[in-house]
Amino acid sequence: MCWVVAHANINRYKADLRETRFVLFEQFRAGELLGKPPFENWGVDEVNMVLDEVYRYATEVSGPLNGISDEGCRIVDGTVTTPPGFKEAWKKLYESGFKSLSIEPEFGGQGALATVTAMVTEMTSGSCTAFDMYPGLTIGAAELIASFGGPGQAERYCPKMHDGTWSGTMCITEPHAGSDVGDSKTTAKQNDDGTYSIKGTKIFISGGDHDLTENIVHMVLARIEGAPIGTKGLSLFIVPKRRIDEEGNSGDSNDVTTLGIEHKMGINGSATAQLSFGENDGCIGELCGTEPHRGMRQMFQMMNFARIGVGIQGLAIASAAYLSAVEYAKERKQGASVTNWKDPAAPRVPIIQHPNVRRMLLDMKARVEGIRALIVKGAWHRDHAVAIGDSDEKLRQYHEGQLELMTPLIKAYSSDQAFSICETAIQVHGGVGYTADFPVEQYCRDSKIFSIYEGTNGIQALDLVGRKLGQAGGANMQAFLGDVQKFIDETKDHADLGPAVAKLAAAHAAVASTAMTFLTWFQEGKMDRVPLAANRFLDMMSEFTVGWLLLDGAKISIEKQKSVDKKDADWAFYEGKKHAACFFASHVLPNVPSSASVIADANSSALEIPEAAFTTV
Amino acid sequence: MKILVPLKRVADPDNANKVKPTADKVDTSGLEWKINPFDEYALESALRLTEDGKAPKKRLGEVIVVTVGPKETETTLRSALATGADRAIRVDAEDDALDGRMVAKALQSIVEAEKPDIVLMGKQAVDGDTNQVGQILAERLDYPMATFAATIQEEDGGVLVSREVDGGVCWLRLKNPCVVTVDLRIVAPESVYSLKTDKSFKHNDGVRFAALPAIMKAKKKPLDVKTLGDVAAGTELTAKYSKFEPPPQRAAGVKVADVAELVQKLATEAKVI
Ligand SMILES: Cc1cc2nc3c(=O)[nH]c(=O)nc-3n(C[C@H](O)[C@H](O)[C@H](O)COP(=O)(O)OP(=O)(O)OC[C@H]3O[C@@H](n4cnc5c(N)ncnc54)[C@H](O)[C@@H]3O)c2cc1C
Repeated sequence: MCWVVAHANINRYKADLRETRFVLFEQFRAGELLGKPPFENWGVDEVNMVLDEVYRYATEVSGPLNGISDEGCRIVDGTVTTPPGFKEAWKKLYESGFKSLSIEPEFGGQGALATVTAMVTEMTSGSCTAFDMYPGLTIGAAELIASFGGPGQAERYCPKMHDGTWSGTMCITEPHAGSDVGDSKTTAKQNDDGTYSIKGTKIFISGGDHDLTENIVHMVLARIEGAPIGTKGLSLFIVPKRRIDEEGNSGDSNDVTTLGIEHKMGINGSATAQLSFGENDGCIGELCGTEPHRGMRQMFQMMNFARIGVGIQGLAIASAAYLSAVEYAKERKQGASVTNWKDPAAPRVPIIQHPNVRRMLLDMKARVEGIRALIVKGAWHRDHAVAIGDSDEKLRQYHEGQLELMTPLIKAYSSDQAFSICETAIQVHGGVGYTADFPVEQYCRDSKIFSIYEGTNGIQALDLVGRKLGQAGGANMQAFLGDVQKFIDETKDHADLGPAVAKLAAAHAAVASTAMTFLTWFQEGKMDRVPLAANRFLDMMSEFTVGWLLLDGAKISIEKQKSVDKKDADWAFYEGKKHAACFFASHVLPNVPSSASVIADANSSALEIPEAAFTTV
Repeated sequence: MKILVPLKRVADPDNANKVKPTADKVDTSGLEWKINPFDEYALESALRLTEDGKAPKKRLGEVIVVTVGPKETETTLRSALATGADRAIRVDAEDDALDGRMVAKALQSIVEAEKPDIVLMGKQAVDGDTNQVGQILAERLDYPMATFAATIQEEDGGVLVSREVDGGVCWLRLKNPCVVTVDLRIVAPESVYSLKTDKSFKHNDGVRFAALPAIMKAKKKPLDVKTLGDVAAGTELTAKYSKFEPPPQRAAGVKVADVAELVQKLATEAKVI
C-alpha cells in the first residue's frame, strides 16, 4: 500500500515554542509562582528544559506515529492490537517520565504548574492525538483513585498506572445512556467479601482494550442493587481487565470481554471499545472509596479536568493545522500578485501573498492563539488557587470560581474552533489539503470528536447557562465581568489598541445584558427558551473572553516590542500578537452584540415547528 | 570509569539564517542556542559507557561535562546534567576570547586536575567546523587518540574504537587515559558497550531524552566555575577573525543543449576543467 509508505515514520508536527514561552512567562507570568510553594522545585530553567525535551519527544517519537496511527487498531479473536510503533512509543514515554508532570509528589510526580502541564500536553497531544489518549486516560483514572480511593487503593493501583505498567479507562457511556448518564443499566452486586460483581455493557470506551500494557484498570459507573434510579444511584468501581493478586501482580481474566471496536471518522489509533463486564458472572470490582452512590460526584470532579483536557486537544490540533497551513502557503506558488494581476507574464508568487490567503492565515492565528490564551488563563486560575491554599479563602474561591466558569468555554469553544480551524487549514492548501499527502485532512477528522465526548458541546452550553452563570449567587460571573471592565478602563485610550478595546466594551455590554435576559427567563419560568439560546451564548461569551485575552497579550507585546530591534525575530513575533488581536477585535468581536440581539429577539420557531413539518419524507 | 565530556553551545542551525555578520564578528544576539550535536553524541556515549544496560539502569562511573563560555552557557551544562551527567565545570570566558588552541589549553588543565580515564568529545562543532580541539588536546596531553569514532567498546584499561574510513572500518585499540572524538554513528543502538553491558543489549536509537525526574534534579548537581586565567594562563589567541561575510548568492542555473556545450561552459565560464 503506497498510502502506508507516504505516512511511514514522517514527523509533520510543529509547535511554536516562542509563543508557548510568551503565554507562560510574559502574559501569564509563571515566574511569580515559580520557586515558591507548592512549586518550589520549579524554576524558569526547569520549565524551559521540559518544553524543549517534550518538543523533541513530540517531533521524534510521537509525531512520526500520527500518519500510521490513522490506519487504526485491529481486533482479532477479541484481542486488540494498536498501530505499529505504539508499543515502543509507550515505553519511551514512560522512560522519559513526562507523564508524571502534573502528578502529586507523593505519587512520585513533579507537581508542575497547570499552565506548564497544559503547554506540554499541547505538544504530546498535537503530535499524535490518538496515541496520547491512552496515557491521558490512564492519568485520569489514576487520579480518580488517588482522590477518592479507600484505604490501600491508591497504593495498590496508582504506582503501576503512573509508571506505565498498567493503563486506565473511564467507563461511563452505555447504549442507552449517553448524554444522560443517569440511565446507566450496569449493575453491581455485593459479594460476601465486600467486593462487587459487575454486570453490564459499556460502549465507546477509549483505550478499552489494547496491547500496550499487561493490565487495564477500568473505572466503571454502575448501580448497586437497590440503589435509586438516576445519577444519584450510581457508584464508581475499580475493575481491572485481569485480576490482581495480593502482591499486586496481574493474573487471571476478570471476565471483561471486548465485543468490538468502532470504525471511526478519526483518532483511529485510539481503540474505542465496546466492553462487556461479567458475561460469565465472573467480573469482580472494588468500590472506589468506601461510600456507595457517590460515583457521579467523583466522576464530575474528574470530568472538569477531562473537559479542560479536551480543550487542550482542540488547541493542539488547531495549532498544528495552522502551522502546516503557514508552511504550505509560503512554499506553494500560484498566480501573480494582485497588484499586477492583468499581466500574464508577471512572476508567480507564493500564495501567502494573496490577500484572501493571508486573511485565512491570520484568522487561524488569532483563533489558535486565542484558545491557547483561554486555556492557559483557566490553568492560571487553578495554579493561583493552589498556591493560595488556605491562606486567603476568599481569593482562592475567586480563582476556583473563574476556572469553573471558564471550563465549559474551554471545552466547547476550543473544540468547535479546532474543527473549524482545521477546515480553514484544508482550504488554504487547496486540493492537496483534501488528500492524505498533507496532514490537515487527518487533523480535521481527528478533531471532530472533541465537540462530542466528555459531554457534548450542547451539554456544555447548558452547564454554562444553567449552572455556571448563577453559581455562587452570580458572584463568579460578576467578578469575571469586573476583570474585563478593569482592562477596558485601563486600555481604552491606548494609542494602538483603543479602537479594538471599544469593540471589547461593546461586547462586554452585550454579554452582561444577555446574562440578565437569561435571569429574567428563569424568573418568568420561560425555561424552554434557555436551551435554544445556550449555544449561542456560550459562543459569544467565549469570543468575548478570547477577545479580551488577545488584547491583553497585544498590550504586553506592544510594550515589549519597544525595547526590541526591528531586525530581531522577536520584533516580528510581537507585531504578530498585535495584528492577531486587532484582527479578532475587528472580525469576531462584533459577533457578540449581534448574538445578543438574536437572543433578545427570542425567536421560538425551532420550538413551534411541528415535527411533521421538518420534512415530508 | 571517569569520563570528561567537553561541550560547546552553538547557535541553533535552524536560525542560522538570522545570524548577522558585522565587520569582525558574527552578531549572535537574540539567537536560540543548543548543544553542538556531536557533543550531544559524545555525552550519550559517555553515559552508555558508564551504565550496565539493565532496567533500571545502574550508574557505573562518573561523567563530568565542561564548557568554556559566558554565564549563559550554564543552561547548556544544566541540560547535560538533566540528561544524566554527574557534575559540571564552566570556564568563564567570552566567546571572543577563544579559539581552538585556547579551548584545548583550558581543557588540558582540567584534564590534568580531574584525571579522567577518557576524554570523549564531538569530532567538531557545527558552527565553525574547525575539527581541531580534540586533536590539539590529545597532542598537548600526549594521550593516545581516536577521531571520528563510530563504535566504542570498553576493554580492560582501555577502549576499542572503530572508525569508518574509505573502503572499510579501521579499528584502534587505545590505552586509557585517551582522547576519543565521535561521529554521528556512535548513537546507533549497538555502537557503545561498557564492560558490564551485555552484548545482546540494544540502546534506544539516538540521543536519550532528559527524563523529567532528572531535569528536576539537575539544579542540585554540582557546577563549578573557573576563570580562563585559572586554566589557560599565559596563552595567546592564535586565530584572529578579521572579516565575516555571508556566502555569495547563488546565480540562477542554465540549461545546456548538449554535452559539448556543457564541456565548453565548464572550461570557459566555470573554469573548472
Ligand atoms: C471516539 C469516542 C470516544 C469516546 N470515549 C469515551 C470513553 O472513554 N468513555 C465513555 O464513557 N464514553 C466515551 N465516549 C462516549 C461519549 O462520551 C458520548 O458519545 C457522548 O457523551 C454523547 O452521548 P451519545 O453518543 O449517546 O449521544 P446522545 O446523548 O444521544 O446525543 C445526541 C445529540 O443530542 C444532544 N442531547 C442529548 N441529550 C440532550 C439534552 N438533555 N439536552 C440537549 N441536548 C441533548 C447531544 O448534545 C447530541 O447533539 C466516546 C465516544 C466516541 C465517539
